[in-house]
Amino acid sequence: MPTADAITTPATDSRPIRGEPIVEARGISKSFGALEVLSDIDFRLSNSEVVCVIGPSGSGKSTLLRCLAFLEPYDHGSVYIDGQLLGYEERGGMRVRARESRVDAVRAPVGMVFQHFHLWPHRTALENVTEALRLVNGLSRRQAEAEGMAMLERVGLAERAGHFPESLSGGQKQRVAIARALAMQPRVMFFDEPTSALDPELVGEVLDVMKRLAQDGMTMAIVTHEMGFAAKVADRVVFMDQGRIVESGAPETLFRHPKSDRLQQFLNTWRERHID
Amino acid sequence: MLDILLTHYPVLTKGLTTTLVVSLSAIALGLVFGVLLAFGMTSRSRWIRWPCGLYRSFWRGTPILLQLLLVFYLLPEVGIEVAPITAAILTLTLNTTAFQSEIFRSGIAHIPAGQIEAARMAGISAWQTRRRIVMPQVLRLTLPPLTNEIITILKNSSLISVIAVTELMRVSEQIASRTFQPLETYLAAAVLYLAVNLVLAQISAHLERRLAGGLATE
Repeated sequence: MPTADAITTPATDSRPIRGEPIVEARGISKSFGALEVLSDIDFRLSNSEVVCVIGPSGSGKSTLLRCLAFLEPYDHGSVYIDGQLLGYEERGGMRVRARESRVDAVRAPVGMVFQHFHLWPHRTALENVTEALRLVNGLSRRQAEAEGMAMLERVGLAERAGHFPESLSGGQKQRVAIARALAMQPRVMFFDEPTSALDPELVGEVLDVMKRLAQDGMTMAIVTHEMGFAAKVADRVVFMDQGRIVESGAPETLFRHPKSDRLQQFLNTWRERHID
Repeated sequence: MLDILLTHYPVLTKGLTTTLVVSLSAIALGLVFGVLLAFGMTSRSRWIRWPCGLYRSFWRGTPILLQLLLVFYLLPEVGIEVAPITAAILTLTLNTTAFQSEIFRSGIAHIPAGQIEAARMAGISAWQTRRRIVMPQVLRLTLPPLTNEIITILKNSSLISVIAVTELMRVSEQIASRTFQPLETYLAAAVLYLAVNLVLAQISAHLERRLAGGLATE
């Protein structure tokens, strides 16, 4: 177990070299009107690394993930995906908003799973998975369906292929959403509170799928309230509060020896709630 | 009334055909332009939003009779000679585009933003997202108000008789003045309008039932 001194050292430095980060944020900030929701955030995600982002609601963790995917444009700083600047372009020494097609191209390695699934209700489970394969990758219906079925099998839902989202449980919807993202063969997956909208008894099936993904070496950034999952699966946990990263390190260090009062307090509140 | 229908059915059918051709062309064209205008009104750029909104306000905010006369007298003024029936289709199209765009705009607003984000994160382009994710759902959602608009245009097409298009209304006027049986004639015309609209409503209700599966309720 690392000593308390190692807390601030990014986990990547204490492990075998994993190469360049796939996702890197340097000094990003974001305001909604006068409210600063992210201030001066540095964030790195290396190959095969699983990072869980925790923190109280309103701490900016979801906004961070959305900025890393450019679903929210960040105001200052830079986000790089595979070394390419996301969302902006340098033109004549000036930074301008990149065209949508350029944004799509840069974030192509990123797959995303949302809290509320956001499946397309007019498409069956299988069609949700094959839609982008056909539209973006130009696969024929047969190829796309073969690939789509393989993805649904991976999340254990092959027998639900013909069902519309309205007839699936929350856990099944989220697994279809994961299959939909996996179909595009992302190099990194973002999960934005993937189990927060689920009934408690359905959380496990989604976390199991995510755990298997992590074991298969998928690079993942997960915004979550599932501390148990973070402790077991994460290589590194990032604690955010009031738009800043307060602490970051290996889960055992962070959970057993929190350095800041804020994290200590956060963990105490969590324990109280989960003991009774 | 039955008498009028039987003796004058050749002209009445011809008038009804013109009514159908004019209104259905306007509705079909209005569907295409209405969708485009709706996307214009929901655009991120205010330079697109603003003129689209202005267009909508003008064609929604002035009487259709006045619009007909404006188009009919304005076109020759700028050197464009068109047949009355073309002017009629043009006016009704311009008018229904405004109303249909409002219908589609409210439909688009009902599609959760997250569905569009999910499409963008899967790499689906903005236009493909509109065509494959947004519009199929919007058309199902807006079928009832759209049916309403189709029926409105069909009825309002009676106004094009003022620019000398011989559709059902004008034919009825001609028959009425020839036979001196205005009440019977107009009742016959009413029956024909009603029959067409009842058929349209039936088709719409059938579609609505068939498309009910797989709709958003999040």
